[in-house]
Amino acid sequence: MPQKAVPSIKSYLFGVTLFCVVLAAGCAHKPSVVSDPASSAAAPPAQQVMAAPKAEPSPPPSPEVSVKAVSGNLDDYQDIEDPDKGKEVEKVTIADPLEPFNRAMFQFNDKLYFWFLKPVAQGYSKVVPEPARVGVSNFYTNLSFPIRFVNSLLQANFAGAASELGRFIINTVWGIGGLLDPAASKEIDLKKQPADFGQTLGIYGVGQGFYIHWPILGPSSPRDTVGIVGDIFLYPSIYLGPWEVWAGARVYERFNYTSLRIGDYESLKEAAIDPYVAVRDAYVQYRLNMIKHKGGPPPPGVKGLLENN
Amino acid sequence: MHTKTLKVMVISIIIMLTIQGTVAASGPFGPPQPVSRPAGGLHTGFGYWLQEDKLKNSNEEYISRQQQIYSEMGYGFQKNWDLYARVGLSGLKLFDAFSPTTTATTTSKNDFSENWKFFTTLGAKGFYPVHPAFGIGAFVQGSYYFSDFTDNTTGTRNGAPFTIELGLKNLWDVSAGIGFQATIPWGINLYVGPYIYYTETKVSPSANITGLALTAGETTLKNNTVFGGFAGIDAPLSRGFRLQIEGKYADRLSGGAAITYSY
Repeated sequence: MPQKAVPSIKSYLFGVTLFCVVLAAGCAHKPSVVSDPASSAAAPPAQQVMAAPKAEPSPPPSPEVSVKAVSGNLDDYQDIEDPDKGKEVEKVTIADPLEPFNRAMFQFNDKLYFWFLKPVAQGYSKVVPEPARVGVSNFYTNLSFPIRFVNSLLQANFAGAASELGRFIINTVWGIGGLLDPAASKEIDLKKQPADFGQTLGIYGVGQGFYIHWPILGPSSPRDTVGIVGDIFLYPSIYLGPWEVWAGARVYERFNYTSLRIGDYESLKEAAIDPYVAVRDAYVQYRLNMIKHKGGPPPPGVKGLLENN
Repeated sequence: MHTKTLKVMVISIIIMLTIQGTVAASGPFGPPQPVSRPAGGLHTGFGYWLQEDKLKNSNEEYISRQQQIYSEMGYGFQKNWDLYARVGLSGLKLFDAFSPTTTATTTSKNDFSENWKFFTTLGAKGFYPVHPAFGIGAFVQGSYYFSDFTDNTTGTRNGAPFTIELGLKNLWDVSAGIGFQATIPWGINLYVGPYIYYTETKVSPSANITGLALTAGETTLKNNTVFGGFAGIDAPLSRGFRLQIEGKYADRLSGGAAITYSY
């Protein structure tokens, strides 16, 4: 009997579930394109998404949480003119009905990061020099080109899709299979499009619903969880063969990624009064910004912590 | 100055074309001056090369044709020294390898052919700028094929059917030469030079079929004459990319093109 070229959906789900349970493919502070569809399906229905103008009435204090409500032309000391003078600043809110569960998962991921992921990543970074780790990171970024390309097309961001296609060709051919990133050089300057299926759903009007913090995978929402499942099928390594192969590839990718960003999560955690709230707010803002500015750069500061691809 | 440069180039071409040779070396040599940026650095490239050689053992002579696609990476030191490596895939055709030499033997095909075998090339070059628009360089490079080329054919000998498999093993080559480079307006480099070359491969038949010359036993095919000449153009495109077009001539003409990018 001829061998099946593509494993069945059942085997994907099994592989994804086992992968998530067994190994730390994600970290406490960064969502992954790998998800647990079963968990997503079991989640309660999305309640609402708030991206209301400042003038609108404030949402109830709990379980909905206000992320940011800043406006005005002067800073706190009333002596420096705000560069965003005249711009309308939106209030970003998200429901958090699962806060007790989410906080528990946040703690779990926090320990997972400090007790397992970070030590392994630190050991890895001692052995592998940074240029090599950057090359590996570039390779994986190049490999996830289909996610960004297809979603740019779905978002009717044709310039972004063309940019992604150009990046992929240039980096594959002249970047030694994607290990180097000549497309990002000053002369070529083709920017990576931070596009994923969750963002696409958001652009088409699907609300993000409530906040959910998955074990291992980190911050998400029902919409973005569905998006993660969609992105899985656009990620080439899942077609490599047995699920162990691509799961191993993903785990290695995550360790490599973490080794290049040790300290980011610690800084966020130290600066925050409530790290859980800080991560949740950063995630919500990041996703909202991605939807509002499709094809544009993600907001500084949280990009490294939260970007998927 | 340009007149002097052109004179040198024309003389070099004449010298090369008057030297008798039988083979062309595998892969392009590139411009004598490294394509890296002035301060030095990494460069990569992707290219295609069509190679024709004449290979011979003690009795027979065969024409070979290779089509190669390759990826190149090199590191230049201040545009004077360069180390580079290529990895690629190549097909090989050996014309008339299965051609019968007697009427009592027939075969279903005459040519040996196999595609998509990995090869690698390593090389180094040095360049001395005599003048801002003219310089002389020297290079050495060698190629090795990781996999053997194999092909088979069926036929009859005095009415009895047979199947024969032929293997070309351990194909390698090494080349060295000097190049003269002139820079003309728009940053275009023209280069030309002579080279010496050696290649060989072991021929290994699965059986001895009378009437098929290459199946008489294990033998070595190699080039006979070692001299050849090459010439090319290296032109800037945009955004750090450059186009190289090169040709070589010895006994047969070979050529190819590559696009390089300098970091």
